[in-house]
Amino acid sequence: MIPRITFHLSWLVIAAGVHAATLSLQSPRVTISSSDATQLLSDTLPSIKRPEPLTLGASDILKLTFQVTENGEGKGVQPHQTFLRFYDSVSGEEGIQPVRVTPGGKAKFELNMARPPASLPPTTDRPLAVSLILGSFVHDPAKYDLFDLYVPTSSTPAPHPDEASFHVLPPIVHTFRPEQKLPPKVVSIVFAALVLSPWAILLGLWGKIGLSVPHLVSPRILPFTALLGAFEVLLVRYWVGLKLGQVLLYGGILAIPTIFAGKTALATTGEWRAGKH
Amino acid sequence: MRFLGSALVSFLVLAGKVLTKSSSGDSVLVLLDPSLSRANYSIFFGGLEQQGYDLTFRAPKHASPAIAEYGVPNYSHVILFTPDTKSYAPDVTPQSLVGLLSENTNLLIALSPRQTPLTSLATEFSLILPPPGTPLLSHHPKRPEPANVIPVSVSESPILTPDTNPVWFSGVPHALGNSPYLVPILRAPSESFAADSTDDSGSGTILSASDKGGEGFWAGSHIGLVTGFQTTKNSRAVFAGGVELFSDEYAKKALPSGQRSGNAQFARDVAAWVFQETLTLRIDRTEHHRVNETAAPEMYTINDQIVYTAYISAYDRKTSSWKPYSGITDMQLEFTMLDPHVRIALPPVSGEPGKYEVQFRAPDRHGVFKLVVGWRRKGYSFLHTTTTVPVVPLRHDQYPRFLSAAWPYYAGAISTSVGFFLFSALWLAGDVKGEKKNLKGVKSE
Repeated sequence: MIPRITFHLSWLVIAAGVHAATLSLQSPRVTISSSDATQLLSDTLPSIKRPEPLTLGASDILKLTFQVTENGEGKGVQPHQTFLRFYDSVSGEEGIQPVRVTPGGKAKFELNMARPPASLPPTTDRPLAVSLILGSFVHDPAKYDLFDLYVPTSSTPAPHPDEASFHVLPPIVHTFRPEQKLPPKVVSIVFAALVLSPWAILLGLWGKIGLSVPHLVSPRILPFTALLGAFEVLLVRYWVGLKLGQVLLYGGILAIPTIFAGKTALATTGEWRAGKH
Repeated sequence: MRFLGSALVSFLVLAGKVLTKSSSGDSVLVLLDPSLSRANYSIFFGGLEQQGYDLTFRAPKHASPAIAEYGVPNYSHVILFTPDTKSYAPDVTPQSLVGLLSENTNLLIALSPRQTPLTSLATEFSLILPPPGTPLLSHHPKRPEPANVIPVSVSESPILTPDTNPVWFSGVPHALGNSPYLVPILRAPSESFAADSTDDSGSGTILSASDKGGEGFWAGSHIGLVTGFQTTKNSRAVFAGGVELFSDEYAKKALPSGQRSGNAQFARDVAAWVFQETLTLRIDRTEHHRVNETAAPEMYTINDQIVYTAYISAYDRKTSSWKPYSGITDMQLEFTMLDPHVRIALPPVSGEPGKYEVQFRAPDRHGVFKLVVGWRRKGYSFLHTTTTVPVVPLRHDQYPRFLSAAWPYYAGAISTSVGFFLFSALWLAGDVKGEKKNLKGVKSE
């Protein structure tokens, strides 16, 4: 507790002497030169913000010189805080760069874009607002808006691996396989007709020679024919909707009478053919 | 019996939650440095007690009451107002405090320019502190207070009451690492900086500190003063650069503009966030089913239209209960097998509070998929839920049956069948006249 009190007291002692005089900026001058020392721009800064922005190329060097004086008179002072603030008002990115000031109040700052300082914030195509912050234990603080500065766009720093999950992620749409392509129905009809065309020939020839089915309704033949027909119907039903198990069951049931009916029918036709009747 | 027991426990937990002010319990342990007067923090502590919190005070070197016993925390929240304490009772170590966070206990920690065990704890939370003994200074604005007592304007944040007056701050700043789990609550003014000098001749040390590069210089509005951290288990920690922020002295101190300082309101808002009263959300349940059905199927078939529904509540501190919450507009649903195959917005259903619903087509890939909702936004509780669903290909009889391209084949197959039937019928029923004649002729001969 004791050290805390003394700490505070020392602040108070200094605070008593604060705000004796104001700090002001003398002969601020900005120079931009290219990497081969050609001077591109040299200008004294007005007391208010410079209206037109400055542009700095990828290898250009910006030099800023000024003197900090007391009450605007010639006597230079060394303030506690002499910071240049680079601020992007849209992204809110900010960089603070302290400037070395001699005890006589003279200050020189150099910004070499070939080796940009770590304090320079990530930049975009927007200008950075450059301002000078002066602070002191014995003088009133002061803040000067100097100029807007275009600098080359910086590369973005690598984000934390989990950073992406804190934002809306890009939507993902699954690419489905294309629907199966079918040939035109006309082609299918033509080929189906082609497949069925032998029937026309067959029926035509039958029409010529004539058919005689004297035993069609014979009680020894008809059951077998009917059961064969039933098998055909069962297979069609399988194709349309039945499952394999059902087909095997119904087929098995049908098979038993078919065997006996077939045996009878074939034996009967055998007898006819052998001319026994 | 076991089921009954767990049901009873969950009922008791639920009943307990309904009665408390915070969504995670109302017992608070305050570790108060003996050098700090409890009376100087009466507004902050009194406000908490008035809210229904049960405060237990303890000196950092006292061993009892213990923070945790047998690995189970005894308190729902811990306030460490021990900015200058270097030695603690054995149960307070950076490791044990991290252990508390993983058991869903919330921490409110005050730091100071002195190097303490809490300084190294802050480093683990991606806060980068300046060297010991460098408090935050600002010469702006012009004011009678010393340079280390700074009025800080409060920026917009969902955590804080809008239009909170500037707050007085005195203490240590910290640079923020790039961890997205950090929630900046109070930022330093852009004119402020950390330095250990007490007169103007100290400008040289500031320069040499900044020349070191990296984190050698703490200045500007990117530096944090009060920063929260939300863990993946949704427990919360707040690191405040100075304990005076919460004091009666600063709460009553008038600002340079003559207004009341916002300290009391700010401290209350920070405590409400860290104690999980505000911005606390949870997923009550999720549902999924095929479109035009209501029950969740055992498995989905590829290309099925799936409807996914999530019900979300937010904790309401006024009534101390969970209320359906439809305020999330940027939630997304992922349908994932190793990688997300589908990621779509999961919007709130208008007219049905707390309900979020989306319909999508299952991809034409079969496998074990997960329906994943993960929503993380700074300051809010993280929402995360996964549901595993199998997606199977079509069964052999689920394919289309009558393709026009197969008509010639159908015609061929049917022809063969009909031909066989006709041939059988004709052969069985027909008469072989020629043969018979021949046979008769042979007989007659």
